[in-house]
Amino acid sequence: MFDYTVITNNIGLLWQGLLMTLYFTVITISAGLVLGLFIGLIQLSTFRPLVIFGQIYVEFFRNIPLLVTLLWVYYAFPIFAGVNVTKFWAGFIGLSCYVGSFYAEILRAGVLSVDPGQTDAATAIGMSYGQRMRRIILPQAFKKMIPPLAGQSIIQMKNTTLLSTITVPDLLYQAGYISSFTYRPMEIYTAVGGIFLVILVPLTLLSRKLEKSGALAK
Amino acid sequence: MNMPSATSPAIHENATREILQLHRICLQFGAKHVLKGVDLSVKEGEVVVLIGASGSGKTSLLRCINLLNTPTSGGIVIDEEVLFHKEAGGQRQTMISAQETNRIRSSTGMVFQQFNLFPHMTALENVMEGPVIVKKQSKEQACKRALELLGLMGLEEHVSKYPRQLSGGQQQRVAIARAMAMQPKVMLFDEPTSALDPELVGEVMKAMVELAKRGMTMVIVTHELGFAFEIADRVVFLDQGLVAEQGPPDKILLHPEHPRLKSFVGRFHESADLLRPFLEARQAEKS
Ligand SMILES: Nc1ncnc2c1ncn2[C@@H]1O[C@H](COP(=O)(O)OP(=O)(O)OP(=O)(O)O)[C@@H](O)[C@H]1O
Ligand SMILES: [Mg+2]
Repeated sequence: MFDYTVITNNIGLLWQGLLMTLYFTVITISAGLVLGLFIGLIQLSTFRPLVIFGQIYVEFFRNIPLLVTLLWVYYAFPIFAGVNVTKFWAGFIGLSCYVGSFYAEILRAGVLSVDPGQTDAATAIGMSYGQRMRRIILPQAFKKMIPPLAGQSIIQMKNTTLLSTITVPDLLYQAGYISSFTYRPMEIYTAVGGIFLVILVPLTLLSRKLEKSGALAK
Repeated sequence: MNMPSATSPAIHENATREILQLHRICLQFGAKHVLKGVDLSVKEGEVVVLIGASGSGKTSLLRCINLLNTPTSGGIVIDEEVLFHKEAGGQRQTMISAQETNRIRSSTGMVFQQFNLFPHMTALENVMEGPVIVKKQSKEQACKRALELLGLMGLEEHVSKYPRQLSGGQQQRVAIARAMAMQPKVMLFDEPTSALDPELVGEVMKAMVELAKRGMTMVIVTHELGFAFEIADRVVFLDQGLVAEQGPPDKILLHPEHPRLKSFVGRFHESADLLRPFLEARQAEKS
């Protein structure tokens, strides 16, 4: 028996959870984009130490499971550093650093996919590194980066559910909480799955469309 | 029309001034010695054509002139300003700031085999980009001058088209205008016609002859020996990273001495035998 009242009676909690999920999705994607741009450009520089730092950063966050990163930042880092890290900051830092490493790779691949002749031509008319990047390379790279960025951002929204493990009251955390006192996990988790589908399926379709139009523009 | 300063009448009175000097340019890629000490100087208003077999280092040499390739050693002087100087094996090196490098570098214009136009900009924007962004000219001034140059290249009707809407020949002429917009002291061409369909080659050559007539100093890499014969004041034969022979076009193309140059121009030579009366008449007309 599927009891809808379990959902309707607790719609307020689910709503709060959803807002938290969306909030974390937006702020960690924003921070991740800034971080990714920074790390990506560092990796493309010609200064070896910076390049190596960028590579270490990327491989570090891409290869450690996100759940481990989150738990480490929340439980282990405070002990090492002797500081107090709230669950919000731990979640924010862990998720942003994680997605930033993927964005950095997308940026790097995007820039490298631009014909080197473009750099030659821009350099030949006397443009500096910054002018070249800003005016010639990045505008062309961004076009190709839109589909993978959209894809990674959709994954990021799903990844925010891991926040529940460090007791950030996101959608999944609220679902667990509701089922703990209603004993109706079936209804609650079905609703959570449904909510993600309703939000992400249209976004996925949109990013496919972008991908197609991007392919045409090329 | 009003051409860049390099083409003002004054240069012809002072035609011995060296605009470009290369001293013992060496270039290595890993263990591979591509250039082994090339000396070359180009006078103001002179048109020098570089020929040589594939892999002889023509592109590499051209890219050294504006430091797209950094020579392993050697010296580069452009209009009495040292752009690069490094002794072979030694530490002594002229250090000029990246900013200065960019400034001196922008006094050379380069035209590439693959055009390399900026695809996200119209023809007009391509030509205005350097003057506006690098030289900080006003948009109005840059636009006016860009339209003049595009006009000179016979592209009045295409100024607001994107590169993908233009034929190869049109794209290459936009690329020439883009390089000219920086008012370069010397123009460098790397096989500007070899990516073009045969029927489009002529229009680009015509545009280049037009620049030469206006006194532009040019260094041209080409495999079109007929074109070299027509446009060059001097032909330089590059062989295995060294200048093997150089001289006036009729000397190099019709009476070569170096054995590899002989075989290199062999085919041209055969057809030139048939064309000799015509070519000699053209040469007489030229001087
Ligand atoms: N970036 C590079 N790295 C390693 N080797 C290179 C590089 N660029 C050129 N070379 C080598 O240098 C040599 C000279 O090349 P270059 O392109 O200057 O010859 P070219 O005379 O322009 O030939 P072509 O007529 O085919 O254009 C070639 O053997 C080439 O393989
Ligand atoms: Mg070449």
